[in-house]
Amino acid sequence: MKRKVLSVLLSTAMMASLLMGCGGGNDTSAPAQSSDDSSQEAAAADDSSASTDSSEEAPAASGDVEEITWMFWDDLNATEDLISIGYKDVVERFNKDYEGKYHVNVVTTNLEEYYAKLNALVAADETPDCFIVSPGPNLDVYVEPGITADLTDYLKADGWIDTFNGGEGAFSQQTYDGKIHAVPLNIAAACVFYNTEMFEAAGITTMPTDWQGMLDACAKLQDAGYTPLTISAGTAWCLSMLAGYLCDSEGVDLAAIDAGEASWLDSNVVNATNKLVEISQYFQPTAAGDTNDVATANFYNEEAAMLIQGSWAIAQINGSNPDFEDKCGVFAFPGTDGRVIAKSDSLAMSAKTAHPDAVIALMKYFTDETAQKYTAEIGGKIPVTTVEYDETKAPAQLAYVMDVFGSAKSTFGFYNESMASTEAGSTFDDTMVSIYLGTPVEEGLSSLEDFFKNNVWNK
Amino acid sequence: MDKLLRDKKAITIFIAPAFLLFTFILFIPICQSVYYSFCNYDALTKPQFIGFENYRQLFTIDRTMKIAIKNSTFFLIFSVVTQLIAGLILAALLTNIKKGRNFFKNVYYLPCVLSSAALGLLWMFIFTPKLGINQILAQFGIDGPLWLMDTKGFIILPMWVIASVSLWQYVGQSMMLYMAQISGISSSLYEASYIDGCTKVQAFRYITLPLIRPMVATAMSLNAIGSLKFFDLIFNMTEGGPNHMTEVLATHLYQQGFKYFKYGYASAIGTVLLVLCLIVTFIINKFVKVDNYEM
Repeated sequence: MKRKVLSVLLSTAMMASLLMGCGGGNDTSAPAQSSDDSSQEAAAADDSSASTDSSEEAPAASGDVEEITWMFWDDLNATEDLISIGYKDVVERFNKDYEGKYHVNVVTTNLEEYYAKLNALVAADETPDCFIVSPGPNLDVYVEPGITADLTDYLKADGWIDTFNGGEGAFSQQTYDGKIHAVPLNIAAACVFYNTEMFEAAGITTMPTDWQGMLDACAKLQDAGYTPLTISAGTAWCLSMLAGYLCDSEGVDLAAIDAGEASWLDSNVVNATNKLVEISQYFQPTAAGDTNDVATANFYNEEAAMLIQGSWAIAQINGSNPDFEDKCGVFAFPGTDGRVIAKSDSLAMSAKTAHPDAVIALMKYFTDETAQKYTAEIGGKIPVTTVEYDETKAPAQLAYVMDVFGSAKSTFGFYNESMASTEAGSTFDDTMVSIYLGTPVEEGLSSLEDFFKNNVWNK
Repeated sequence: MDKLLRDKKAITIFIAPAFLLFTFILFIPICQSVYYSFCNYDALTKPQFIGFENYRQLFTIDRTMKIAIKNSTFFLIFSVVTQLIAGLILAALLTNIKKGRNFFKNVYYLPCVLSSAALGLLWMFIFTPKLGINQILAQFGIDGPLWLMDTKGFIILPMWVIASVSLWQYVGQSMMLYMAQISGISSSLYEASYIDGCTKVQAFRYITLPLIRPMVATAMSLNAIGSLKFFDLIFNMTEGGPNHMTEVLATHLYQQGFKYFKYGYASAIGTVLLVLCLIVTFIINKFVKVDNYEM
């Protein structure tokens, strides 16, 4: 009998310890629950960083800290990306200023796994309170089933929306039926980065403004013994970005293709793809297998003269080789009639969050003066608000990017993020890579056309 | 023991944990997955029953599925054949050496216990054009191929590369299984054969091989199922690219389910995978004849 009682007790203890181990995992990162008056005052003093509702609430008592989660696509502790480091600073600043009231726990993953993990959380009804997302089809999938909250009222309540460049216009990619579902954090423009010394040595004095000029420049660089262009086909979207520019310059109407009113076999798409094949002779020999990081490293290590990349690469270039900043010039991709590819990171809020005020407060920290100044001065991306930053502190390349962006007639999104679905975008990327690797243009485009027939146009 | 077997309560208590685990972790999810395979389901909205539409698309429209089936079949045949041969040779060699047997056993088995994800990344770096093998070949003036990006041929080079890495990783497992079986063979059988004038090769052919046949069937089944479900190395070395040319069933399932959120469609691929595993296991058990000998 004694033995039975003992075994029951031991089993219960074992089960209890197991269950305790399962629960409360998120509490480990909770802040010390001491009331810090000065930090709360700082938060309260910053009108722009507290929403109307939360400012009316008394500071939470010890033990009543509102915990929220923010999901992001980079490891904030291991990253060398200056923009991610800036986000880490924002989180630390927020947690410090709101100590005892709000606390944000960061859920991180690598970029490749980001949407898979986010979706798993959404499916398990554990949507993070706040998460980063790219506008376009990636955001569509969360807006349509009502997973993201409508942020319009929060943005309009205290003039927060007016701090953005262009007011409501800044939210065009995040607005659905007049409702804003995400807040942009920064803008990056895709440009051509070039090595000024190599250009000079090759005798190129004026930057190419049309396709023939680009090919001539490549030929001159090659004749001078340089690799004209570094690009990654191993990371498909890099090659696809170039293909996007070429398609746009040929007048491809992506919306018409998405709607089934134009075809991937139309002559303008064929011409664009032929141009891709034509310029590929100037890529570095290892382009097919190089990842984005390797291709970018080829540029800042001065193994190639040009890199077609988004302005987010500035942080990586300068972070990896600070001496290269003075040699790095930027020009708009030629032949696009003043159109520039632009991309923004955006924050969305879960429609089911129990702490909307805390999330809004966090979002405001991401778009406040400190964060936006950092975005420009350190991160090298274009701020989304009207913040005035110190141009002397900002990377030299940002000024060139701003010139390109400022003189652009209009912008358009990444091709793979502007299609009917993420799968359609990936198929476009893969098709371009396969054509670069040797698939005949017509054959590659036919398979893309087939995909659209079966998966987009008949839906 | 007999008393215990007569005690129905005890039997129930002993079986219950395994039964519950099997039911909740395997059986119910499998049934659920089969149901989802007949639905349009993105996990964000409720599943919508669409009958056999996912299967129709899978077998008539999906170009990647055809590539995945081809690659999985290649992988299955390559793994089963090479691991059988290489595993047997290693096992036979190691059981016949006296010095350093444990050392080599550990060396060959080590990759098996290492993380496939880490090994995948390691090999990916080795085959990256800017690093590893191609740089060594360049020292000798040889222009190395695009190990992980070449798309020429019916079975493309990256598939051969990944299959070879997989052989390197898992051959130790087959070797251990065969060694365990070989070490169970009575030495008196070999001694008797040598007295009768048998050579070592003949002893291997007429004594070792027949007696390890049950283990051959087991190892082949394990290899076959493992090959069909193969994911880690491919995902970490090529992610199924370029242009889905190295996709296998498991990576295609992952892409459809977790990248494009087509959980219904991914469930259909999972169901096909399950059926294939059952068929292959059945075939191996049916055709690899196992005779029981007294060892």
